[in-house]
Parts: sequence; structure tokens; C-alpha cells
Amino acid sequence: MQSETTKIATLVVIATLIFLIMPIFLIMYIRSYNRHKKNHILEKQHMQQKFEAEMLQTRIEVQDRTMQTIATELHDNVGQLLSLTTLTLNSVNLSDSEKASVKIENSLSLVNKSIKELRELAKLLHGEQIVENGIGNALQQEINWLEKTGAYQLDVNNKLFELETTSPDKDLIILRLLQEIINNIIKHANATAITLNTYYQNKTLFLNVEENGVGFNYEKTKTTRSGMGLNSISKRIEMINGKLILNSTPDKGTSIFIEIPYP
Amino acid sequence: MIDLSPIVIAEILCLVAAFLFLKADKLTFWKLNIAYLFIALVTEAFGSYLSDQKVNNLWLYNIFIFFEITFIFIGLYHCLKDYINPKPAIFSGLGITYSLYFGLLIKDSIMAYNAITVTVMSVIFSFYCLYYYYLLLNDEKFVDIKFHPQFWWITGVLFYYFGGTVYNLLDDVFDIRLFTNFTLRYLIVIILNVILYSIWTYSYSCRAKQRKSQP
Repeated sequence: MQSETTKIATLVVIATLIFLIMPIFLIMYIRSYNRHKKNHILEKQHMQQKFEAEMLQTRIEVQDRTMQTIATELHDNVGQLLSLTTLTLNSVNLSDSEKASVKIENSLSLVNKSIKELRELAKLLHGEQIVENGIGNALQQEINWLEKTGAYQLDVNNKLFELETTSPDKDLIILRLLQEIINNIIKHANATAITLNTYYQNKTLFLNVEENGVGFNYEKTKTTRSGMGLNSISKRIEMINGKLILNSTPDKGTSIFIEIPYP
Repeated sequence: MIDLSPIVIAEILCLVAAFLFLKADKLTFWKLNIAYLFIALVTEAFGSYLSDQKVNNLWLYNIFIFFEITFIFIGLYHCLKDYINPKPAIFSGLGITYSLYFGLLIKDSIMAYNAITVTVMSVIFSFYCLYYYYLLLNDEKFVDIKFHPQFWWITGVLFYYFGGTVYNLLDDVFDIRLFTNFTLRYLIVIILNVILYSIWTYSYSCRAKQRKSQP
């Protein structure tokens, strides 16, 4: 009888212990899961901060680029026009009213042209507004600037004007990508012709740039310091979950194909 | 002479802690803890006194069950509302428990211990505590559970009611005497109460810290 009682007592004690230990294990599991959750949240915050820092950098670079364009335009274009106006006006001989009238007419035309150029430049000064009018317009403005240099034979097919969706952050990055690509072509490619295709399909934005320049060894350039521009392009594409395909053949040129989930 | 059993001592200590940590709290639920612990202490002390006098004290514990059901459901409501609208879950649980409590009270009289209600409510409380953990883990927000008062309050409830399941289920079987006037059942009740009140005391200190850190 005594042994029966002891058995029951042992059984009860063990069962109660099990019922008390189970919540302990549960709490341990919750603690461990919670720690993982904390790490995940911190990682997400870190990525967000990185993204914001990259966005800020992109914004600064776009602004820098705009300022450079404005400076070049002021020096090479508006400055020249106004100098020519001054020269023309200086040469006006009021006693020869007929010639004077023609020269004044010419000067007025030059001033009007300068005003038009300045208006164009004012548009660029809006900076952030570049992408506010849509990525199609922003890219076109960049292409127009390239066209103005007259140094390249351009074949442009920009189908992003009627894009209904927008993504301001991505737009800024895409614009900066194109600027960086054009910059690389001007600086290093020695190209004479550039083909540019942009279009939107199945929630993906495609950007394709081809040129007939000197080409380069992509794998080798990636690891060197001169490949910083390329690395920055790859990093930014990766940041917005995009894909980059770059093919380059020495002396034959380079083609860059970019796919970006959009918006 | 009131018998100062380990349960009464644990309750006094927890009540003092609750008073110190929660007296300035603006939330009704936390203040309600002080009132509940006071009722629990009075019940336990008076129950012990009646037991010493060899008088049936089951009616007293039966009345206390009503306060226990109400208070624990209020606590569960308070903790669950951070994640969901707990009204449907709480009111259905409360409805089942109250129906059983009053039904059995009418059927068996107030002098017979309402053990079935206690068993059923223990299962319901344990289930709701696990549900709270589930919501806590699935929530996108991170909370430092080490200092989270609601988490520890729920943990206290889970330990007490889940741990007490064997005690509730085998209530009739294990009236085994370890010493004179000291049964195994009583030992388990003491352990469960000490665990509950210790965890709740910690939860109150966390709440005081939380309140101070909030603007």
C-alpha cells in the first residue's frame, strides 16, 4: 500500500514538474526567436540607412552634374552669345542708320537666343523637379544635352514618356545611372555613335545603351580603381533589385543592358 | 491567530510590491492588481483561519473563483489588445467560464468546491496565454521581453494555470500526506503560488520602469 502511494506521489511530482518545465522551454524559445527578430529588424534598419545614404549621395551627384552642365552652358553658349552681342553693339555706327538698324536687329536676335538658352538652363536648376515630370522626360533631358554637344551620332528610342507609374527614389537612381554611363562614354569610350533604347514591360523598366567606342576588359576593370564608376553603377542597380548585363569587346564598343523592377 | 503559510507570505510580499510599483499607475488594469492581490490575501488568510477552526472554507474559495475569473480575463484582455481586438475571444471565454461557474454553483451548492470550473478555466487561460505568445512572436514590432511587464504577467498566469493542470486533474487522487497536516497537493499549491507571485512581482517592477521611461 505504501509503495503504491509512493508511486502515485512520484507520478504526480514528475507530471507537475513536466508541466512546469514546458513553459520554461517555451520562454527560452520565445527569447531566442525574439533575439533573431531583433537582429532582423536591426539589419533592416541598417539597410534602410544605407539606402537613404545612397539616395542622398545620388541626389548630390545629380545636383553636381546639373551644376556642371549649367557652368558649361553658361561659358560655352550663353557667354559666347552675349560676347557676340557686345561686339555687335560696339560696332554700331549711329551715323549709318541703315547698317546700325541691321546690327541692332542682329543683337536683339542674339539677346533673344540668350534668353531662350537661359530659360532652358533654369529648367535644369530645378534639380529635384527633373524626375517629377517622369523618368521619360528626365532621361530625355539628359539625351538632349548629349545631342547638343554634336559629338555623337545618336539613335534614340525613348518609350518612357507615357509611363503612368512613378517611383521618385528609383527615378533619381535611374537618371543617375544614365548620367554615369554617358559620363563614362564621354571620358573613356572614344565613341562616335550611341544607341539608346528605353522601354517598360511587365512591371520592369529596361535601359539599353550601346556605343562603338574602344571597349574594355570588364572583369579586369571591375577590380581596379578606375572601375569605381562601374562599381557604383552595379551597386546602385543591386540596391533597387535590378540586373546589369555588360558586354564589351576591345575596339568594337560596349553594350549595357539594365533591367529594373518598376515601380 | 492567522496562520502565516508560505502562500500568505508570498501574497503579502507581492501585494507590497504591487502597491509600491503600481500605486501611481494611470492604467486601471495595473491598479486592479493591487485590489485583486488584496482580495486574494484576505481570502487565503481567512481560509487558513477557517481551516484551523475546522470549519468548511470551500464557500470562501468558491466566491474567490468569481474574482479570479474576472480579473484574469481583464488581464488577458489588456495584454491581447496590443495586438488584436480581443473582445470576441475574451467575451466567449468569459461566457463559457461564467456559465460553468454559476451552473455548477447552482447544481452542487456553494459548499462544494467548484473544481470543474477551475480545471476548465485553467485550460482556457493557458490557451489564451499561448495565443498571446503567438501574437507577440508574429508582431512586426520588437519588444524587449526581458523588461516587458505584460509578457511577465502572462508568463506568471501560464506557469500557475498550466503547472496546476495536474493538480486540478488529479485533485481527488493525490491526497498523499508528506507530513502530518502537510499533503503533496498543498506542497504543489505552495510552489505554484510562489512562482506566480514572484513572476508578477517582477512584472510590476518592469511596469514601474516602463512607466518611468515613457514620456
